[in-house]
Amino acid sequence: MTVALLMAAGGIAAGAFGSLLGLGGGVLIVPLLTLGFGLPLREAVGVSLVSVIVTSSAAAGVYLERHVANLRLGMSLELFTAIGALVGGLVAFLLPERVVAGLFALLLAYTAATMTRRALARPEAPTPVTAMPSPAADAPAAAATDAVAAESPTGPGAAVPAESPADPAQTADGGFVGSLSGPGYAVRRYPFGILGSLFAGLVSAILGVGGGIVKVPLMNLGMGVPLRVATATSNLMIGITASASAIVYLFRGGIDPYVAGPTALGVFVGAAVGSRVSHRIDVRILRVLFIVVLAYTAWQMAMKALG
Amino acid sequence: MSGVARPEQRRSPARTQPDADATRRLELVVAHILQWGIGVSVALVAIGVALMLIDGISPLDPTFPPFDPRVVVAQMLALEPAGFLWLGLALTIATPSVRVAASLVGYLRQGDRRMVLVSLGILAVIALSIVIAGTGGG
Repeated sequence: MTVALLMAAGGIAAGAFGSLLGLGGGVLIVPLLTLGFGLPLREAVGVSLVSVIVTSSAAAGVYLERHVANLRLGMSLELFTAIGALVGGLVAFLLPERVVAGLFALLLAYTAATMTRRALARPEAPTPVTAMPSPAADAPAAAATDAVAAESPTGPGAAVPAESPADPAQTADGGFVGSLSGPGYAVRRYPFGILGSLFAGLVSAILGVGGGIVKVPLMNLGMGVPLRVATATSNLMIGITASASAIVYLFRGGIDPYVAGPTALGVFVGAAVGSRVSHRIDVRILRVLFIVVLAYTAWQMAMKALG
Repeated sequence: MSGVARPEQRRSPARTQPDADATRRLELVVAHILQWGIGVSVALVAIGVALMLIDGISPLDPTFPPFDPRVVVAQMLALEPAGFLWLGLALTIATPSVRVAASLVGYLRQGDRRMVLVSLGILAVIALSIVIAGTGGG
């Protein structure tokens, strides 16, 4: 009984930290369950996938309602993340635990490096990757960089986005890719997006993460989608991506309901709380603290990989 | 009631700009499916966790009842935590596919053939993963 409550509390912490720092839950849940509760890595990955579907789908619902996520773009890419995830889910059952631990250590180190770079580059603009959108708080931060996607102007004079790197009228080819573009931006390099999506799906399925850390830069830097739209669309895509591999874990006995229940519930509550208090918390100190935690966890995972 | 002819949106075979109103309606339908699907899932899981606590079940117990859709209802009627947990978790995993199915219907109505194919493709991958995982042993 105590363990179930502890697990739910761990889930709440993972969900809250994840939404405050713009990380998906997976990168925190898997280490929590393996290093904290001593569960096998594959079981932790299965549970994490379910938790990731809960938070990202809840977030995607809000983003769609606010007209931020691009449904057409998300679906045309998630076809390929799902293929990657299906292959990844099957491969995951063949990989030795130590290999998965090693890959996870790399993911943690990469996440820590990304956060460090972001902390140094732009201290006050957090980039939510799988954060649940809060009722009001996510607009101002994102509007600073992506006024393009904001539905309502944030103030006088903010209605017209000054710079949009690509004018849809000039670059849209009028075909399928053209129809994926949104207001103020044109989707570029769709074939590159397909390749990146396959990779994101593989990573998600093997490591139990949403893969926002791959999808958001892929769409934002690689395909010319504004950050805010890329974040929202990534949340939408995570549901299908994670469910394609979660089905494999589910049918192969890789998900323990007694672990998944308390964890997923905790993550849901934590993400909801985190998104509601995010505008009242200075995330800079939190981020520094978290970089240390990620680096330490990466070290622990690396030790697990090396035996 | 059926006197009003439904305006089908097939204006031109190679329409490139999607119908904004239809797209917005579809976005809202998908948003509600996600919110309701996850809301009901979380509620079921919460009941399951509460029953777990009452029954004193530890998550670290190495054995757990396997996922079997045929006995889920019976487990729920017997107030076993596993029934509520499994239904909640399965519904969580199914929710994204339900919204793709809804999108398929929406794009069919819009006459957007390419998005219909994309939707069918996604559902085919999900179906394939069920078939492979269900029959592949393990």
